[in-house]
Amino acid sequence: MKRAHIVIAGTVVGLAGLLSFNSTAVTLSLGSLSAVTAPTRSTTTTTPATTTTSVPHSGGSTPPPTTRVVPTTTATTTTTAAPSAARSATGAATNYSYGILSVKVSVSGTKITNVSIASIDDGGNPRSAYIDQASIPLLEQQAMSAQSASIQGVSGASYTTAGFEQSLQSALSKLGL
Amino acid sequence: MGTIVTFDLYDEDEPSESVLSLLREAIDVLHQADDDFSTYKYDSPLSRLRRGDVTMEQCPADVGQVLELCNVAKNITDGWFDPWSLPGGVDPTGYVKGWAAQRSLDVLRRSWIRGALVNAAGDTASFGGPHAGVPFRIGIVDPAATQHLACVVESPGAVATSGTYERGCHLIDPHTGRPASRAASATVTGTDLGLADAFATALAVAGVQALPLIEVLDDFEALIIDYDGTFHTTTGFPAVRTGSKTSS
Repeated sequence: MKRAHIVIAGTVVGLAGLLSFNSTAVTLSLGSLSAVTAPTRSTTTTTPATTTTSVPHSGGSTPPPTTRVVPTTTATTTTTAAPSAARSATGAATNYSYGILSVKVSVSGTKITNVSIASIDDGGNPRSAYIDQASIPLLEQQAMSAQSASIQGVSGASYTTAGFEQSLQSALSKLGL
Repeated sequence: MGTIVTFDLYDEDEPSESVLSLLREAIDVLHQADDDFSTYKYDSPLSRLRRGDVTMEQCPADVGQVLELCNVAKNITDGWFDPWSLPGGVDPTGYVKGWAAQRSLDVLRRSWIRGALVNAAGDTASFGGPHAGVPFRIGIVDPAATQHLACVVESPGAVATSGTYERGCHLIDPHTGRPASRAASATVTGTDLGLADAFATALAVAGVQALPLIEVLDDFEALIIDYDGTFHTTTGFPAVRTGSKTSS
């Protein structure tokens, strides 16, 4: 069974895609995609990026190849070998609704092994602290959802995420994913 | 408002170019909905309609259709979901997110893949399943401990949850115009994510008193979790297990 996992962030949606498969990783750059479909998109779509990763594979296998799909006007496909070492990077500190945060991501090969908040400054506002406390774990969980076997998704009150997603992408970009 | 939408595609093989092409089309649906309905974009048709710069007839057909469907949801929920009662003018956002995710899923339906799951910031629309004959299972976040699940449901196609535990009390009681949330969390399952989303919003505002409004619907079921942790469900709510806190 193959599973593709794509994450998009933006105003309602938007910036980037995250695709993953059991045996193959595909990168879908929605940055270029939206450039194709909506050439005049606003500045919020400046983060191209994207990436990802293999879902854990029972039985284990050799590091998967990475298929990179860049859907520009004429889509091109390149195949590269995936790096296999465990690595991590911290994304750029990014403004979000209530302050500034940065996201740390750890990967093994092309598989995301952990996503966490490296730093957060919400200005000490108790309400935003409460919201951070509630929503950040859910975001981390969402980013990790490809790795949960017993359920395929999580339903909960909606959250705001632009800063989290941008910093996550920046961290992934640093890892060349 | 920034929001994450994820797409999970399940099939025997990795997606073909034609599947990826449909995926791009599905994503375009979301972009288009954002362009048409964003209240954060000054020039979106909805923003212009709210300001009175344009009439409904001058807006894209989708705007009229969405507002019509919002009116259906308003009637079904006895006015507990009412985009016309919100401060700042008509705001169908509570319906549009689910509606757009459902539409984008419907694009993927043309791909004949085994299953697809679209998760729009906590509201999910799906067809098929992870394996042949197996439905998608969706965890419902416990509003009192958001790193835990309150229960797990088998998705009949749409699962929407509304509550104030993520963004503070942003829900407005249409009957008073004041912030109100009589349930810690309300989840609605059904066949259409736009309506499920609107119904979940209505239940989160109204609380358990509005549960009978969903009980009478054939295609929708609901779960309300009170602030004290009590569960209330319609008779057919598709919970796999409830009551105990399950680590997510």
